[in-house]
Amino acid sequence: MATETEYVDAGEAVDFRNLSPGYVGNAPDVAKGVNYDRILKAREAEPHNWLTYYGGYDGQRYSLLDQINTSNVKDLKPAWVFQCGSVGMHSGASTYSFEASPLVVDGVMYVTGWDGWMWALDAKTGAELWRYHRASPYDVSLCCGNVNRGCAVADGKVFMATLNAHVTALDAKTGALVWDQVFGDVRAGESATVAPLIVKDMVIVGSSGGEFGVRGHADAFKLETGERVWRCYMVPEPGQPGSETWPADGEAWARGGGNCWITPTYDEELNLLYFNTGNPCPDFDGGVREGDNLFTDSVVAVDPDTGEIKSHYQYTPHDVWDYDSTMENILFEMDGRKCSGHFDKNGYFFILDRTDCSLIRVVPFVDRITWGEIDSNGKVTARVFPDKEGDPVHFWPGPAGAKEWTHAAYSPKTGLFYCPVQDVGATATRRRRDFKESIPYWGAGVAVDTEDVSGYVSAFDPATGQEKWRFTQEHPMTASVLATAGGLVLTGGPAGKYWAFNDTTGELLWEFSCGSGHHSSPSTYSVDGRQYIAVPVGYGAWTEGFYPGALAQAGGAALFAFALPE
Amino acid sequence: MEGETRVTATVDESVMEGLAKQNGVTLGRVLGRGNVGMAEEGSDGKMHATVRIPLDELVFDPGVLILPHAGDLELEIINDDNNSHCAVLPSNGDSKFIWLVNFSKGTATLQLDGPGYYWYGSRTGNDEGRGLTGTIVVTGEVPDEAKLDRPPQPRP
Repeated sequence: MATETEYVDAGEAVDFRNLSPGYVGNAPDVAKGVNYDRILKAREAEPHNWLTYYGGYDGQRYSLLDQINTSNVKDLKPAWVFQCGSVGMHSGASTYSFEASPLVVDGVMYVTGWDGWMWALDAKTGAELWRYHRASPYDVSLCCGNVNRGCAVADGKVFMATLNAHVTALDAKTGALVWDQVFGDVRAGESATVAPLIVKDMVIVGSSGGEFGVRGHADAFKLETGERVWRCYMVPEPGQPGSETWPADGEAWARGGGNCWITPTYDEELNLLYFNTGNPCPDFDGGVREGDNLFTDSVVAVDPDTGEIKSHYQYTPHDVWDYDSTMENILFEMDGRKCSGHFDKNGYFFILDRTDCSLIRVVPFVDRITWGEIDSNGKVTARVFPDKEGDPVHFWPGPAGAKEWTHAAYSPKTGLFYCPVQDVGATATRRRRDFKESIPYWGAGVAVDTEDVSGYVSAFDPATGQEKWRFTQEHPMTASVLATAGGLVLTGGPAGKYWAFNDTTGELLWEFSCGSGHHSSPSTYSVDGRQYIAVPVGYGAWTEGFYPGALAQAGGAALFAFALPE
Repeated sequence: MEGETRVTATVDESVMEGLAKQNGVTLGRVLGRGNVGMAEEGSDGKMHATVRIPLDELVFDPGVLILPHAGDLELEIINDDNNSHCAVLPSNGDSKFIWLVNFSKGTATLQLDGPGYYWYGSRTGNDEGRGLTGTIVVTGEVPDEAKLDRPPQPRP
């Protein structure tokens, strides 16, 4: 062995990113002027940008850009591709997925990946301007894979939630950390996958962990400093409004779930955030939590200034099918009325009056619903559910729902909603178990169907609840939909194809094979007058839950930017 | 044993030893084995530790390094092997990389959250598969303000 004095000096370890050819290290200072007012007017005032998670506070995922349209979309080609592999071992090595929605500010794209990745890219060329990689514990509890759904931008900073339930603020020019706050307890089974939302001078996040018996909550922090403003629990403690829907004795409420792991929508006039909440816990064993279990599986309208719950609507009372309602409430106007539209895991499309969360209309949007029935007045009748210990029951939709978390879109131009639909059943067998922090707390064994499944993209008229068109294929649909003023509806499938449809007829106009399945929320933007469609590609996550027939689908780590030839 | 289901035969001690060495039972050393070490608190507010790569063992020693809490770690890495290796180490912001030629030593400053554990490895050839994959374990709890407002719950 060499002696001490003979050692070669290896120096100080360097940042790994500096060994990446083409790495720039900084971005133009475009995010400095992004603020609440700009985000409020984002869609109309600056359609070339995609400033916030859904493209606007209303959650419509609709763009006014129309350069790419029904007449020329056939010529759409990849303009550039950004690839990110991984080095070493990371959590959820087999379940990572590229689920983000890229934000774009004046030619700079901000996009998150799995495992703590955040990149700033040149939106015109795909060049990597900077990267931030949050070290993520290998052993964090993740029910549904190593994923992240996106970031928020304001005040010269980019905000990202981490797997271990931190919210971080990064300098938008360099990616350097500005502040860091912890908002969840990983020892309790909490984590975070949500894309933050900027509202006023706050950044809003929500917790994950509904399969581990946590108590779901949303949190608000000051943009500038990271100082905590409020926390809002989605399951009340004894004595609070809603606590009467939980057993009076015991601690079922304390393990009750109701996580909000998807970004809320926001109505500035009503000054209300619309959080959607996840399943009650344990997912399938309702016997230990008799009652409706508020505010799980609900839309919860929250005052952003105080974190106080103002109103709610529960889509699936006393859920025993794992029917999270975390997916978006899309805000829209109908007959001069402030409404919201929501496609729930339980297979029903709900139109609410969003001023008080009262029901206007409810209709089924998937062909097979056997778990129960919701009548036109919203009355819920459960029919098939795991009840007796050890007794298997089969029901449609399965626990991933008739629509997973991936988002629908709404076009004000057509007045139609566009929904990615999964028609997949499952068998659940109740297996009661003790609760222990950080251990999965389902209360059942579950096997999702691998055969007799299908999927479709459907267009719905909220005025009538009628389906206007449908594009059917053999795979459950697991990617968000994007609608544009170019008359297009775009989404992708599990087998890798990315499609463009005519928004009025449903005619398939264009497709491109991306090499891995789609499980993300693409966005659109323009730079120097050229429109792009940004599509993160990388199938995975809770595949065994929404489409086990695609468990062997190739993973991916690419972001495609499509554009018309110059 | 009577009344119990036996799922495996008793493993001979030599087989156990063979799992922890190069070209014994396996081709490399099975991951997650080796010595366990603890970082020390420094007067500079950082934690300090040394990890070595012993001659012909293709492992980091200690294989499991424990930090008493989240924070900054100043890690000395010494390659006592007569081959070149490297390390890609976890740290908030970006991984840290250091190249380690035969008989070299260097340092890495890491910033890690806790609780939880992290893998790191030598990304050259299949060093990682042969055994040059170590863990850093961060102990402790999250801050009180991040915890759930509920009565204490049972843990496994």
